[in-house]
Amino acid sequence: MALPVNRNFLRDKLAQELRLALVVLACLALLPLGISSPYWLGVLIVSMYFAMLSVGWNLLAGYTGQFSLAPAAFAMLGAYTTGLAAWHWQIPLAIGLPLAIVVPGLIGLVLGRIVLRLSGPYLALTTLAFAEIARLVIYNSIDFTRGDQGLNVPPLVESHVANYYLLLAALVAATLVVYAMLRAPIGRYLQAIRDDEIGAASRGIDVVRAKTIAFFVSCAICGFAGGLYGTFAQLVSPELGLIAQTGIVIAMVVIGGMGTLVGPLIGAVLVYVASEMLRDVGNIQMIVFALLVIVFARFFREGLWGLARDAVAGRRAATAAAAAAKEAR
Amino acid sequence: MALLEVDSVTKRFGGLRAVDGASLHVDEGELLGLIGPNGSGKTTLLNLLSGHMKADGGRVRLDGRDVLGLNPTQLTRRGVLRMFQMTRVFARVSAFDNLVVCGLAMGLDEPAASGRAVELLEELQLAHVMHLDGGQLSGGQKKLLEFGMCFMVPPRLALLDEPFAAVHPVMKETMASFIRRRNANGQTFVLVSHDMPVVVELCPRSVCMNAGKVLAEGPTQQVLRDASVIEAYLGEHAADEVEHG
Repeated sequence: MALPVNRNFLRDKLAQELRLALVVLACLALLPLGISSPYWLGVLIVSMYFAMLSVGWNLLAGYTGQFSLAPAAFAMLGAYTTGLAAWHWQIPLAIGLPLAIVVPGLIGLVLGRIVLRLSGPYLALTTLAFAEIARLVIYNSIDFTRGDQGLNVPPLVESHVANYYLLLAALVAATLVVYAMLRAPIGRYLQAIRDDEIGAASRGIDVVRAKTIAFFVSCAICGFAGGLYGTFAQLVSPELGLIAQTGIVIAMVVIGGMGTLVGPLIGAVLVYVASEMLRDVGNIQMIVFALLVIVFARFFREGLWGLARDAVAGRRAATAAAAAAKEAR
Repeated sequence: MALLEVDSVTKRFGGLRAVDGASLHVDEGELLGLIGPNGSGKTTLLNLLSGHMKADGGRVRLDGRDVLGLNPTQLTRRGVLRMFQMTRVFARVSAFDNLVVCGLAMGLDEPAASGRAVELLEELQLAHVMHLDGGQLSGGQKKLLEFGMCFMVPPRLALLDEPFAAVHPVMKETMASFIRRRNANGQTFVLVSHDMPVVVELCPRSVCMNAGKVLAEGPTQQVLRDASVIEAYLGEHAADEVEHG
């Protein structure tokens, strides 16, 4: 039997997802042209922030199988890194924002080492404990962080539109970083670890190194998102690190499509915009999203992206079958 | 010359001595059968040799160097490859990529890993399912794929734990011929199996374990006729019957 000529199954799948991710990002780039309301532009900016958290968390949970409950905490740490640098030492944002990548990344690297031998609920609980400790330390260190009063952060750009494109550019960069990682050997190692950690170690994969890199990059992306969000909101507070914020990120990734490049992007925008539309109904919106997470996790493991892909594949197969039947007649 | 020397290795689980001072050796280029009834300590011994468990005592030398205490990744990179009783393949990547990732981890570059993967898929008659995810393969195909994953870079020592269990006879023969060919070229194997005809056919020498200890060791036919081995498998009464005709 002839072997398939093209054997780049993983790379082709990734390239296809990247093309679609770029289409989604291009559509997002056009949105401000049709939206003049500052309120809705603000909603879109925040959805870009959540999309970055989703991309970062998806690398860890979706591609590496490390179910961390701390993406919002790392965004908070990134926001406070930039904020504290500017507040206490007048460090400009040109340095403060790169620090929002490096500092959470390094803390993530340490956390990654601590939770190295943990998995499943133990990993989730340890990262949750870390997230709460980090939030409470910031909340209670009033002399240094101003506690729940929050910390003023200087803006990087002034207008909503400029802030939107700034966060969108960062989102594009984060998506490309994740794509580049997944194309490289490290990306294959991460997916092998996700599928079977013991099996991966038994095939010569340095599981410790691969997981540590995944923690570093994921936490750095979340930290950068937090740093940029701080310059948009011009105020950072410990509420950024609330577990409810992590819950929203999980909902976005699961509904959009976990372990895919496109899923977190569409999930973040749809869930955040829908949550704003449902704001009037109060906390019921969270119940709706929680139910959706259960339904998607149970029945549609690859989320909306997987559903759309399967629908297209089904339609193509039906068209091909119809054409073959017509030719046979 | 001995490639692997196992000297008085012990592993306890609470009060149970799963491996109790086991000693054996595997010569370079040998195909050694490791047999014994269920619960005799074979898989635990393989877990110790492949770094998946820490021994409580004893020594293990590979090529004359102490390797006891190394983790699975370190041992794999020293050439000790393990095939598991419960199949371990990467469920959400293609069969082809399952092999490629193993090659990359063992130091091959991408073109070399891809080429080697295709060779193995053809040899193991898995080429027609190379595009399917590991999780979509049948039980036998998974076994064959995992088998191939161990040979992306020829190992110094392949530890095969029940490779023929619940495998279709055709696939079993594919695997057995693969083992024969590699062994003829000098590849060293330790084969754990309950499939005695296959052990007799493939392994000139065998070690039988029972209750964590090495019970008998020598030419496979001789080991299988050993009264203590028959007793371990079938009970004292059967051993008497065999001994007295």
